[in-house]
Amino acid sequence: MIELLGIEEKTYTLNLGPQHPSTHGVLRVLLEMDGEFITKAEPVIGYGHRGHEHMAENRNYAQFLPNLGRVDYLHALAYNQCYCMAVEKLLGLVVPERAEFIRVMTNELNRISSHLLWFGAYLLDLGAFTPIMYCFDDREHILDLLDRVTGSRLTYCYYRFGGVPTDIDDEFVAGCRDFVKRLRSRWCDYDNLVTKNVIFINRAKDVGLITKDQCVKYGLTGPILRGSGIAYDIRKSEPYSAYPEFDFEIPTGTRGDIFDRYMVRLAEMEQSCRIIEQACDKLPNGPIMAEKVPKRIKPAEGEVYQAVETARGEFGMYIVSKGDVKPYRIKLRTPSFANMSVFSELAVDTLVADLVAILGSIDVVIPEIDR
Amino acid sequence: MLKDTLKKALAPLGLENVADGDYAKTGCHLEVTAQPTQMVEVAQAMLDAGCFLESFTAVDFPEAFDLVYHFASFDELCRTAVHVPLGKKKGMYTISQIYPGADWYEREVFDLFGIHFFNHPNLKRLLLPEDADFHPLLKDFQAGPGND
Repeated sequence: MIELLGIEEKTYTLNLGPQHPSTHGVLRVLLEMDGEFITKAEPVIGYGHRGHEHMAENRNYAQFLPNLGRVDYLHALAYNQCYCMAVEKLLGLVVPERAEFIRVMTNELNRISSHLLWFGAYLLDLGAFTPIMYCFDDREHILDLLDRVTGSRLTYCYYRFGGVPTDIDDEFVAGCRDFVKRLRSRWCDYDNLVTKNVIFINRAKDVGLITKDQCVKYGLTGPILRGSGIAYDIRKSEPYSAYPEFDFEIPTGTRGDIFDRYMVRLAEMEQSCRIIEQACDKLPNGPIMAEKVPKRIKPAEGEVYQAVETARGEFGMYIVSKGDVKPYRIKLRTPSFANMSVFSELAVDTLVADLVAILGSIDVVIPEIDR
Repeated sequence: MLKDTLKKALAPLGLENVADGDYAKTGCHLEVTAQPTQMVEVAQAMLDAGCFLESFTAVDFPEAFDLVYHFASFDELCRTAVHVPLGKKKGMYTISQIYPGADWYEREVFDLFGIHFFNHPNLKRLLLPEDADFHPLLKDFQAGPGND
């Protein structure tokens, strides 16, 4: 700020959060402001720290399974899957094909529901109230479908070591087809309502640019990486489960701004629809649980790193086993943790209003950062 | 192939172990063991090869701490696990000047294990409150009242 007499630089501290609607949970950002411009932003995290990694060391493998649904409540099934795959690797279990298909279908439905919620909540941040009504309407259909097979609407715990516990029926498959059809008919509404909206475009274009160099140095993954033009998706680059069976693309952006990240997420929902449709067509018959799953899960000594693609990026699990019924150490590598660490660099020299827009575009889930 | 490039880049550093990993079992293509003093050079070699820091954590074994860095690449499927045996010393060199993303990972390890990182720009607690006086992922930590 320039004073009337002489030039004196003054900055002041502004506290954003931890209870603030646009921080999506309990995130606090300490801002140092020069007038309306931010000179320094320091995220303060840990308000939602529950100690999942410590809990893992104090319970056996199966008991830790429900914890994963609470790490990222928006895409819980991907976390379930990662843990199951890691333990299956340690035990040497082979999952039947039908179970893998069911995992993929439910996972992709969950991914769409996560992206839909982001879409609505993000535009709410930017001041547009209507879109959240539309996408919660669509999302409700997914929750009903998943409720039918998993028994819960949000913190799913559906996969088991070696497969899935309950089979899906024809009604679920028909419901998936109906949902895909319904969602596709809505793209036009979404485009007219948001994508072509000049207020949104002006707020999103060329704001919050993330370079490829930053992606490598901070280990960014997920839509924010693909928005910067790097086609990296673990479903393709390190294929797992039944994903190699399906034909889908990795949408990417070019500039790495908010608008690109928005477009990537929208395009990803369409790709998920394609996967679900193909899975409905190709769904094989057969068992849904591996044979000879031990009653007592007691993997041999060893360690494993398993990664999956969640709606926010790479979720990795590093498990160290000492041949006990409890894991010796579990590290949860969560996507938002890495994605959030770049935030203080992005925030410098922006306005507070843009800061909120940038924060939302990263799509952070705070409990997942804090674990 | 990235694996061979990495092996070539790491050869001059005189590391204890650079070997192929069993991907089907551990999920890693390359297993590396380095001494704490060599880690900065290893990180620089990883960055030069275009790898990103995927994950970093510590494991509290009864006889020693083991620091585990996982590196991966956006271009090619090749995951490298770098183990740094630390003994019972609680000091390590930061790599946050090379990978700024390591800043938070190192703060987390400091927070949960009490391991210090020399030259770290902002080493303070990350997940626990600033005035906490315990490190919960140490094996001798017992949750509950009265723990120091």
